[in-house]
Formats: sequence, structure tokens, C-alpha cells
Amino acid sequence: MEETKEPVATEGREKMTVLVAVDESEGSLYALSWALDNLFVAAVGGAPNKPQPLGRLVLVHAQQPLQQFIMHPIGPAVYATSSVIDSVKKAQEQNSRDVIERAKGICRRRLVEAEAVVVAGDPKETICQAAEQMQTDLLVVGSRGLSKIRRAILGSVSDYCAHHANCPVLIVKPPKTSH
Amino acid sequence: MAAKAEDASTAAAVGKAVMVVGIDDSEHSFYALQWTLLHFFSPAVRPSESYKLVIVTAKPTPTSVISVASPGAADVLPFVESDLRKISSQVIEKAKDICAAHSVLDVEYEVVEGDARNVLCEAVDKHHAEMLVVGSHGYGAIKRAVLGSVSDYCAHHAHCTVMIVKKPKPKH
Repeated sequence: MEETKEPVATEGREKMTVLVAVDESEGSLYALSWALDNLFVAAVGGAPNKPQPLGRLVLVHAQQPLQQFIMHPIGPAVYATSSVIDSVKKAQEQNSRDVIERAKGICRRRLVEAEAVVVAGDPKETICQAAEQMQTDLLVVGSRGLSKIRRAILGSVSDYCAHHANCPVLIVKPPKTSH
Repeated sequence: MAAKAEDASTAAAVGKAVMVVGIDDSEHSFYALQWTLLHFFSPAVRPSESYKLVIVTAKPTPTSVISVASPGAADVLPFVESDLRKISSQVIEKAKDICAAHSVLDVEYEVVEGDARNVLCEAVDKHHAEMLVVGSHGYGAIKRAVLGSVSDYCAHHAHCTVMIVKKPKPKH
């Protein structure tokens, strides 16, 4: 095994770009809190006023494509009038804004600056693409803790990201309810 | 060095979170270890030693490596066993070197016999780890289905946050 000299060398941790995927689920907000507590907050008992930012935090929210709301395979074919499309779009945008606001609130409470990005499309692919475009050092996703079969049927974003993202992936599990 | 049990209890008393890093003899896992040390333990960022590091390597049992039914298996077993033990200790030595290079001193090293998947998940439970770090061989879907993926298994079954560190694919 030859020693490959990593170009990263020993520069110490530079500003690490961390991408956190958020959606409406409690799991992703818990993942955000966990990431903030463990990656961005300075010493637990040390100097609380550490002005140097430990990294760049980017929140990414994937907005589902519109078609899913309009195409109903069951029942009569509903012709979606433009007003229906508009109201659905508005509702979606409001939803995304709420999610981002909530996530930003969590960051603010811990005095961490966060950028927010909303991407449209299938969450799995768009999150991985966003991670690549922003050259993230770490992608943080929550996990719903689905069983194997459910995961195969419903699809798992954390699974997909773990396999397809180009950067290290951190999967935060929901806290065990039994104590 | 104090006994392991003492170490664990003092770590818990001090409130240091435990991070378990699973390694084997592949380049990918050493890359994962280096990446973790660089981003979580470098002196520029080490806020009062926030994590206690436990490095675990799984030593496969010799019977899992060779099929017991083959003729002459019993004779080969001791050689396989000593070979596996040598590989594991080499892995730990290399890990020690990497940790020393990054001047991380509060590290525990463990060689546990068994299947990597179970070993890592059990280590998480035993040390009440906050985070488990594994490398990834970057297998495609088919290889993963056939060979099995430790990082996959751990991501789903470990009782803590899992970080999968991949070696960036050379795109040039």
C-alpha cells in the first residue's frame, strides 16, 4: 500500500462547508440541531465568546416538483386550471419558507449564521447535486429510521445520499425514545 | 495507563462525547480516519478536546475466511489465524501513527474478533458513542448487494449518528 500524500495536508480545519438537508420532518430539524451542537458550537465549558466561525452552514430544502400534486391516477382526470396550479405553487412556496424560517430560527438561537437554498426537484438527486456544486465538506441528513422493506418501497433520501454524494455524509438518527 | 473501565467512566464523568472510528486495512478507512482527525481534532479547532476517540478494527474469524469443509482446512487454520492477527495489529499500528501525526493523544484502540458490521455496532453500544465514523469502499449497487456493505449496515443499525467518509472520486 503506497502512501498517497493527501493534498489536504495539515492545514488544520479550514472553514468547513456543511450542507444540512431540511424538510418538514422532525428528524431533519433534529439533525440540524445535532449538527449545530456538535460541529459549530465552540467549547462546552470554555470561552463562550469565540468569534471565529467554525465553518459555513448552508441549509438546503428540496421542493417537490409540482406534477405530483396534479396527477391523480385514481378518479376522473382533473384538468388543472391555472388558478389551481397557482394556489398549489403558492402553498408550496409558503411551506418551503416556513421550513427554512424554522431551520434558521434554530441556527439563530445558537448564534450561528446560516445560508439557505431552495432547490426544486426530486430531493435525493437535487441534494446531492447541490452538495457537489457548493463543494461541501460534509452533508448532514436526518433519518426516519425506516425498516428495510419500507425503505425499498418509499425510498430513502439518506440512503441515496450516503451512496451517491461525493462528500462525506453524516446521518443523524432520531433520539431513542426509550430512556 | 489506567484500566479501560476507568477510562470509560472518567470520560463519561468529564462529559466527553465518544466517537468510534471503524477501520480495516483498506486505503478508504485510513482516509476516513485522517479526514476525521483533520476536521474534528485539529489543534486550530479543538475546543477543549471535545471528543474521545475510540478506534476499532474488526478481525474476521479464521473460519469465516476459509471454508471449513475443504480438505486440510484444520492444518491451515492456525496460519490463517496468525495472519489475520498480524493484519489487525498492522492496522492498529498505522492508526497509531496517523493519530500521532495529528497529535491526537487521547485515543483508545481495540481489536475485536467478529464480523465488522456487528463489531462496530456493538462498540457503539459499549462506549455509548455519540458518533460512528466509517469509510466507504464506494461499491456500486451490485457489488454492494453481493459483498455486503459495512457502512450501509452501520448507517441503518447503529444507535447513534453515523458519518460515512468517502474518498473523493478522481474526476480529472
